[in-house]
Amino acid sequence: MLEAFVFATVLLGFFGIILKKNLIMKILSMDVMSTGVIAYYVLVSSRSGLFTPIAYKEPVAYADPVPQAVILTAIVIGFSIQALMLVGVMKLSREHPTLEANEIEKSYTP
Amino acid sequence: MSSVTLVWIALPFFIGFSIYLLPKLDRWLAIAIPIFSTAYGLQRIFAPSPLDLQLLGNFGVTLLSDTLSGYFILTNALVTAAVLLYCWQRQKSAFFYMQTILLHGSVNAVFICADFISLYVALEVIGVVAFLLIAYPRTERSIWVGLRYLFISNTAMLFYLIGALLVYQATHSFAFAGLGQAPTEAVALIFLGLLTKGGIFVSGLWLPLTHSESETPVSAMLSGVVVKTGVFPLIRFALMVPELDPIVRLFGVGTALLGVGYAVFEKDSKRMLAFHTVSQLGFVLAAPEVGGFYALTHGLVKSALFLIAGNLPSRNLKELQKIPLSISVWGALAIASFSISGLPLLSGFGAKVLTMKALLPWQVIGMNLAAVGTAISFAKFIFLPRGGEETVKPGFWPAILLLLGGLVLANVVYLDAYTMANAVKSLGTVCVGWLIYWVAVRRLTLKLPRVAEEFEHLIGSMSIVLTLLFWMALA
Repeated sequence: MLEAFVFATVLLGFFGIILKKNLIMKILSMDVMSTGVIAYYVLVSSRSGLFTPIAYKEPVAYADPVPQAVILTAIVIGFSIQALMLVGVMKLSREHPTLEANEIEKSYTP
Repeated sequence: MSSVTLVWIALPFFIGFSIYLLPKLDRWLAIAIPIFSTAYGLQRIFAPSPLDLQLLGNFGVTLLSDTLSGYFILTNALVTAAVLLYCWQRQKSAFFYMQTILLHGSVNAVFICADFISLYVALEVIGVVAFLLIAYPRTERSIWVGLRYLFISNTAMLFYLIGALLVYQATHSFAFAGLGQAPTEAVALIFLGLLTKGGIFVSGLWLPLTHSESETPVSAMLSGVVVKTGVFPLIRFALMVPELDPIVRLFGVGTALLGVGYAVFEKDSKRMLAFHTVSQLGFVLAAPEVGGFYALTHGLVKSALFLIAGNLPSRNLKELQKIPLSISVWGALAIASFSISGLPLLSGFGAKVLTMKALLPWQVIGMNLAAVGTAISFAKFIFLPRGGEETVKPGFWPAILLLLGGLVLANVVYLDAYTMANAVKSLGTVCVGWLIYWVAVRRLTLKLPRVAEEFEHLIGSMSIVLTLLFWMALA
């Protein structure tokens, strides 16, 4: 059930990238998509249990720490790329205030 | 050897950031890195046994450095060195050198990593650094070209991440070796990410615009080594997991024909070279076991060609036919074109013979067609008029001499190629190509539509390629 929601988020983000005209909206859609991917990592790591992997007195079912550690790297990379893209978009908005991707593309393709 | 490897992988990042602190020493610090990499790459090519490193235990970073990595590392080192020589007297800022060295370091990281997450991190760093290099002129147009690149590569890498997780779920490890037991969805998603990043087949159609609109030294780096970061892991998979070998080979043939098909009709010199990168990557993939040597010769020749094309008086091939080139520039252009068309005496010949020998029977027709197409499109360069004056930028000749010298020296890798039959066959292919050029292509003015290169179509074609890959992995 949760898996279905996760994939729905990824797909919605992906279609947002294609269907939204505005460049900012495209970047936000990409963020939605990456949220879905991150959620999937968290979901998979919780398959073995929900407890944080810290030593307890009695044995409990731990969540798998490896995917969580990995996705932390991916989150950092993802948000730095988004920040970089938004700076680029800010620069582009001076010439193209509407930020419509196909308009920008038309004027910069030889 | 393992400590040398670790120092070698960390040094570019350390030096890269130091360049920003010591801007007076930028060029000297920068050139030291590719020299070190050349030595390391050569050592790896001739090393008897591969080096396998497991850092931080079972879930840590896995590195694998063998002969195949050696070829790719050497390519990266020589291309970076040539680009630095080219920019030597060009008043580039310390920022440019820093990005170049960081790019060099992250590309090296791809060539020795053996687990999905290290590969992901390295590929994302490459994406960011390549964006900064493309946008270095700070014009609106360069920012858009870079943004488009970053967007497409980041979207592809999101699919890749899902694939990597599926591999982990099946094998409890992110190592490449787990791909054999992974579900088909994982294979399809990971391949989609790498095919897009590497500019292969329809998912690689972002490449012509990006590579042709960047500055000359940047396009040399992008076409020479950066796209190989998508190709290298695919070769590794094909060698590690025999079931994936036919998929990789099929994509090799497909992309070789697609790229060459566009290149034959292209009238813009830099776009033609970019389409040719797409096609040559197909040659690398078509025979994974000998891909390393082909990647080396292609990296050298393609960066040389991009540097030369940046110094021609025009980009339009129709206009170039009216302006005579100087004999020396034409000579360099012709040597590079001969090598890529596979004429003897240059290592492009050895690489092509080696690849053709390693093909499976069903690939032979397609790859020979692609070889003829290569000869046709490079005839456009070879038959340009000569006799003009030399107008190259300073730093041009050292870079070209390094690259072309490397092409001649690389012949030693496969001297057995020099048999009568091979030489006759390659001359025959080139003659057929030149004949077709003179009879038909020279007068042709066909303009292929660029609709598949539009941003939204590029993103959309990812879903199509994903479906395609899924069916192929199921079969």
